[in-house]
Amino acid sequence: MKSTRATQEPRWVRYTLLSVGLGFLFFFLGLPLVAVFVEALAQGLPVYLEALKEPETRSAIGLTVGIALAVLPFNIVFGVAAAWAIAKFDFKGKSLLITLIDLPFAVSPVVAGLIFILLFGAQGTFGPWLAEHDLKIIFAVPGMIIATLFITFPFIARELIPLMQSQGKDEEEAAVSLGASGWQMFWRVTLPNIKWGLLYGVILSNARAMGEFGAVSVVSGHIRGETNTLPLHVEILYNEYNAIGAFAAASILALLALVTLVAKTIVEWRMKKETEMLNTVLAPEKT
Amino acid sequence: MSIEIRNISKRFGNFVALDNINLDIPTGELVALLGPSGCGKTTLLRIIAGMESADQGEILFSGAEATHLHARDRNVGFVFQHYALFRHMTVFENVAFGLRVKPRKERPSDAEIKRRVMELLGLVQLDWLADRYPSQLSGGQRQRIALARALAVEPKVLLLDEPFGALDTKVRKELRRWLRRLHDEMHISSVFVTHDQEEALEVADRVVVMNHGKIEQIGSPDEVYSSPASPFVYQFLGNVNVFHSRVQGGYAEVERHEASEKTTAFVRPHDIDIALQPLEDGLQATVQHVHPIGPLVRIELQHNSEIVEVELSRERHEALQLVVGQAVWFRPRQMRVFGADQLPRSTPEKQAFLF
Amino acid sequence: MAAKTHRVLPGFGLALGYTLVYLSLLILLPLGGMVLKASELGFGQIIDIALSERSLAAFRVTFGASLIAALINGFFGLIVAWILVRYPFPGKRFVDALVDLPFALPTAVAGITLATLYAGNGWLGRYIEPLGFKVAYTPWGIVVALTFITLPFVVRTLQPVIEDIETEVEEAAASLGASRWQTFVKVIFPAIFPALLTGFALAFARAVGEYGSVIFIAGNLPLISEITPLLIISKLEQYDVLGATALAVVMLGLSFILLLAVNVLQWWTANRHKNNEPLEVTAAKAGGVA
Repeated sequence: MKSTRATQEPRWVRYTLLSVGLGFLFFFLGLPLVAVFVEALAQGLPVYLEALKEPETRSAIGLTVGIALAVLPFNIVFGVAAAWAIAKFDFKGKSLLITLIDLPFAVSPVVAGLIFILLFGAQGTFGPWLAEHDLKIIFAVPGMIIATLFITFPFIARELIPLMQSQGKDEEEAAVSLGASGWQMFWRVTLPNIKWGLLYGVILSNARAMGEFGAVSVVSGHIRGETNTLPLHVEILYNEYNAIGAFAAASILALLALVTLVAKTIVEWRMKKETEMLNTVLAPEKT
Repeated sequence: MSIEIRNISKRFGNFVALDNINLDIPTGELVALLGPSGCGKTTLLRIIAGMESADQGEILFSGAEATHLHARDRNVGFVFQHYALFRHMTVFENVAFGLRVKPRKERPSDAEIKRRVMELLGLVQLDWLADRYPSQLSGGQRQRIALARALAVEPKVLLLDEPFGALDTKVRKELRRWLRRLHDEMHISSVFVTHDQEEALEVADRVVVMNHGKIEQIGSPDEVYSSPASPFVYQFLGNVNVFHSRVQGGYAEVERHEASEKTTAFVRPHDIDIALQPLEDGLQATVQHVHPIGPLVRIELQHNSEIVEVELSRERHEALQLVVGQAVWFRPRQMRVFGADQLPRSTPEKQAFLF
Repeated sequence: MAAKTHRVLPGFGLALGYTLVYLSLLILLPLGGMVLKASELGFGQIIDIALSERSLAAFRVTFGASLIAALINGFFGLIVAWILVRYPFPGKRFVDALVDLPFALPTAVAGITLATLYAGNGWLGRYIEPLGFKVAYTPWGIVVALTFITLPFVVRTLQPVIEDIETEVEEAAASLGASRWQTFVKVIFPAIFPALLTGFALAFARAVGEYGSVIFIAGNLPLISEITPLLIISKLEQYDVLGATALAVVMLGLSFILLLAVNVLQWWTANRHKNNEPLEVTAAKAGGVA
């Protein structure tokens, strides 16, 4: 067929754009993704599995999962509380508050780590007091958890605020007018309505928590087997020219990224369906 | 339950939503709050429901102070403009919600909840939709489910915010009649907000006309239509011809300018007589348009530079046989005159134009 | 709380209170602490540290590489967003999901992988280096890493905007005799330009702070391929806390300016079509000013 629609580019333009765009994605996304697994398996599956069994790698996996789990409840409670206040009520300084929540996205992870060293480090504001009480935050797990919190806390709130704003207050008000208490309203009406958005935020913040490098690196002190998360362990192995070990550890993180992408896509699809449902519920009948 | 509203005022920033509102709603009445958007009617409804708090004034339920009573303790059924159905719950669970969240001691058994919900769904004639979700219902069905949900907690007062606003014309008419019947059967007080005069006049026992946060008139549908208390009510309810006039010697003079006070005369289109011969106290005009609309014929007359709208019955029109361009005489049968202060001016029993 | 502000929905005080306390402890206190620490130095000394030869070189590398990476993504991101929205092709959903890979893949993994790919014996390096172009362990390596890390920003900000363009507008342009290229330049591009700029600014802001992916591929030679975040860390490792703080404060200030720019851009994108007042009103306002 020769005829093209008025709003379509000529065929050669379309094919050029497609090849340039897909080529760019292939070299910058596809190739690196494949390379992680190819490098990890470069000397065969047994060597790969052996590398994963290394105790330090395993303790790094444990610590990474542990920190992610420790951070999660804080982020959920903060995300829901902040979104509830911001989306359902009017108050002065709301936009300032939203900007404040966005702040960690603008701060370099290295700076994020540094600020906690200045606070809790040996020469930091609370350093002497902590030393007196034999408490260790910097170069220890608590510091890594705090740094991860700083980096990851906006994800859930940012997901929930627009979602809850678009849902409005009607359903909650209906619940209250039908006699529901605050908790009944939250558990029976609000939470079911935001569950996919919440899950989406959890997926994003979890991916970042497990993958964070800069901030955690600054406060960790790189103590092998103690304060080494998986991303930090990747660095150590790589710098020791242990490519197989580094890429074996990296392959786990890459798998995690793929799982994240799949989960994210599924949840996005669910949320799209929910929005469509919401739109049909809200749309006025044609008059 | 009767509702008394005393000196209620409410501002949003600089915007005065309600300005010293006083209103009594006796038990069992169906009251319409009627007005253009932004007139404060929805705010008043939300204050009665406890969804919003007034800046000042008080609300009494059955004579008892209820101003600071929490929404959940007011025993009020509220139907939201967009229904606010819980979209993740089935129709059944939506209606059952109010019963399920009752404190354990008052909560009915599951069997009792099922019986009550199915009874209510039967009442709104939608028991066959119990397992559906709100997104699977039509607008009219959602509206009726929202009503059933509000009624499940056996409220003493039913409050409805633009209950038919989002529905198409045919469904709207059906639901209006149905709401009237339901109200009469349930023996409760109902208040609904609407911007549609026809809806208010057709359904309500009493109509409260509001504008700019104030009540313009309270009265039966017939009262507010036949004897509007202000120019606003006149113009908001039905079509009206407006003549700038002056009151002189008890007459509203439309065309003389040396008169004492500037006034405005209001005449409904169906209150104007047309004749082919000169009329005593009548004005001459030219026929501009003739539109037959159902049982009525709408005539547009041009008098000087002004257009005057007249509605004639078909019989009368057939007798007159008006054609465009024809010269005729017209005269109001009935009119009302308001002064510049928006208050009615009494004119003698015979109100007419003078030359 | 006075009776006049009683709210129907519960939990406002609790939710807002918790939010504010949490933010104060996690954000305001630490950032305030840093600014306080920097004030020990005084303004002049901070400037001296920031303008020292090594810091200046680091800033130049960081901002220069970030700018190039953001430009690359501005160009290719536009094409990618366009084909993802407009053209059907097999595996589109997979490709669409893959665009978020840089958000999901830990930066350290990206770093070692890119370094391996572009090294002299890597899959790409072995073809590029004979051409006399070295990527790994040069500033170009930084550009590659930053391009990878910030790839999703432009695509993801553009996609919804391109989806929102009504094809009627393009059809109207075509029916008025515009060529496809004219339609793109005069109708489509102006509509998506603010989003493109926003995506560009977001990518740039993210690139400036990036650390993990860069250090593996950069070579990290002072004055040549050392980025500012790395310089902060090396100062910290030499116990030069004040020096590190000074640099961090400067970076933070620059980040804030970028954040502000992004906010203004987003506000502009959201509001520039909201001015749908009837013409008379706009005219009256203009008349009032004139």
